[in-house]
Amino acid sequence: MKKLIIVIAFTFILSGCAEQKILENISLTTLVGYELEDGGELTSTAVIRQINQDLESRVEIQSASAITSKWARTKIDLKTSKITGSGQLRVVLFGEKLAKEGLDHNLHILKMNAEVSNAIYLAIVEGDIKELLEYKYKNITDIGQHIYQLIKQNIEHHHALSSTLHEVNRDKYSLVKSYALPVIKKEGENIIITGMALFKDSKIVGQITADDTMYIMMIRERTHNGTLQLELPDSALDGLADKPFDQLAIALDTIDSKPILKLVDPSVPEFDLTIKLECRLREINADIIVDTPEKIKKVEEEINQKIESELTRIIKYSQEVNSDIFNFGERFRARVRNVIVDKEKWYELYPQMKVNIKVESQIVRDGVFQ
Amino acid sequence: MKNKLQIGTNEMFNAHLLFFIICASQVGVGVHGFQAVIYQYAKHDAWISIIISFLVAYLSVFMSLKLLELYESDDIFGINLDLFGKYIGNFINLILVMYSGLAFFAIIRNYTDVINAWVFPDLKPSFIMITLMILVLYAFTAGLRTIIGICFFSFLLGLWIPIALIIPLNYANVNFLLPVLSADLVGLLKGAYYMTFTVAGFEVIHTLYPFIKEKEKAKKYVSLGLFFTMFLYLFVMIVTLTFFSGEQLERTIWATLSLFSNIRLPFLERVELITVCFWMIIILPNLCLYAWSAFRGMKRMANISEMKFILGMFLIIFIGSFFIETRSEIYDFNNKFGYIAFVIVLFYPMVLYLIALIKKSVSKRRAGKE
Repeated sequence: MKKLIIVIAFTFILSGCAEQKILENISLTTLVGYELEDGGELTSTAVIRQINQDLESRVEIQSASAITSKWARTKIDLKTSKITGSGQLRVVLFGEKLAKEGLDHNLHILKMNAEVSNAIYLAIVEGDIKELLEYKYKNITDIGQHIYQLIKQNIEHHHALSSTLHEVNRDKYSLVKSYALPVIKKEGENIIITGMALFKDSKIVGQITADDTMYIMMIRERTHNGTLQLELPDSALDGLADKPFDQLAIALDTIDSKPILKLVDPSVPEFDLTIKLECRLREINADIIVDTPEKIKKVEEEINQKIESELTRIIKYSQEVNSDIFNFGERFRARVRNVIVDKEKWYELYPQMKVNIKVESQIVRDGVFQ
Repeated sequence: MKNKLQIGTNEMFNAHLLFFIICASQVGVGVHGFQAVIYQYAKHDAWISIIISFLVAYLSVFMSLKLLELYESDDIFGINLDLFGKYIGNFINLILVMYSGLAFFAIIRNYTDVINAWVFPDLKPSFIMITLMILVLYAFTAGLRTIIGICFFSFLLGLWIPIALIIPLNYANVNFLLPVLSADLVGLLKGAYYMTFTVAGFEVIHTLYPFIKEKEKAKKYVSLGLFFTMFLYLFVMIVTLTFFSGEQLERTIWATLSLFSNIRLPFLERVELITVCFWMIIILPNLCLYAWSAFRGMKRMANISEMKFILGMFLIIFIGSFFIETRSEIYDFNNKFGYIAFVIVLFYPMVLYLIALIKKSVSKRRAGKE
């Protein structure tokens, strides 16, 4: 009996002691943007979503400056009626100025906080963050959710490189210490992804356009369901139609590609990169009827050449800015034994790296009408 | 051999349950973050260290079972008394009891720390400890069969956890595992040594042995249990190694939980929070088994009732928890405990077996002379 009383007493005393977070009593930060101010303070602008008793949600944008991001958040709390929680944080944006100074510190803060998920997306904002977030867009009701969906959708369809906190943090601590973040920008009534910003040692060093993202992916990993637009040289396919073209553009989709990398010479270092690619011919000039294997072969050869030259261009650019977003460094380290490769050495080696690219494309099908 | 235990068949359990007991007792708080410590020494060959540590563990289990077979139906406390006499035997038994108490403390302290770090930052550790202790009290006073029941359910209910780890494999980068065997032997052995804290747990077999119904089958099920946990740890390790880059892993305190924080389900955004709370079910059998082993040893030394013993033990552990409070203190304690576990769990049974063999041959010779 005595035991029973103790147990019952404990269940009453101990239950409900843990912190309660009731949805109606808190507001959820879904997006935060960080930008560096002239005085060295960090301005954080938060998109806060509040849900009231009638289950209506309201979006509020607040910003505050402080030296630490936690204190900026506390300052935001001073302006809001409900305490903010960051467990629902989905996107973190960084301003250009901060990106030039280096993101190391801010990434570390995000990683330290257990409340922040590892799967949040990171991106860079071209222009003013506050302006981007505070503007009343005609077609966007919840800007936090909108930017999240925008980034997510484009990453899933290979228009942007995946930039979850985990992946960025992984690359930041990997040998090459280079990563790429999507760049977003306000353009009139829209928010658009303009391309990818390349980072080296957590500082922004270059930028590529959204058109080139697919090529980076093709070098980095297997891709499924990618899309490419190729502008073939004037005379490339002249033999296939009756009259010559001024300009010939073709589009490929459902691209499944697979990179095969071989280290030929570790001292240079020199790689052989073969990319096997299967795709569907989506758009081609109406005058070209690709019906025989020979003609398909001819088109494939042109595609190979074009993609090869594009890949070479992008690798060359990344070597110029010395940001190894393709992770050649890790691949190099994995293939050599007893050679200590560290960051400094790789920064030295990377610009002189040679990659022999070979693309083997195969047009599997070309729609329902020839 | 005189200390033979008299155990009624109604207290015994079937040998196949040993599989669940071994799995449940080995998997505990160590799994949350064993990767980083081993990585420090064995680098990307950490998985080889796991195999080495399990080989040693298997050798130790093999020897202890041989030893226990010599005595037919006795536990390690009885064997100590038989081999070393009353005083030294009891002294060693006291050390073993204290080891069980320390193991209990290590588990409960690490777990409360994880809860504080991941889920409830301002929840009092003492509150979590008391809650857990009430649960242990329930199982402990209900007897061995209830504890084994908890082992069984903890195993079955925890099966979804390794399955969920397939999702992080999407981010896997095999390059992080290459080149294989680049760490030196010293590093691999050091890594294996630091596995002790995670591998320990199977030593409950030393106290459980007399309660097994079909003793001849014990070896089979204990080995099965060990192999299962080895594959589990190997799997977790390989997922971790391919998921994190080197320095990132070294900086991650609880790598397994960080793996979970990348999983996002449509109906559940933060899987790691559920996992952390669910871990209570995983550590419950560990706590019960250690409390029970400690009691079995204590009973040899003093005539003490179950209730008095467990309450006394809880009190000491509760007070002890105030001395080891911060993260660095816990880390320090884990390392020291790992050393003690290494000696008691892996090393001591082998020595004991050799002594028992010598004693047996001596007494045989004596008997032959007479």
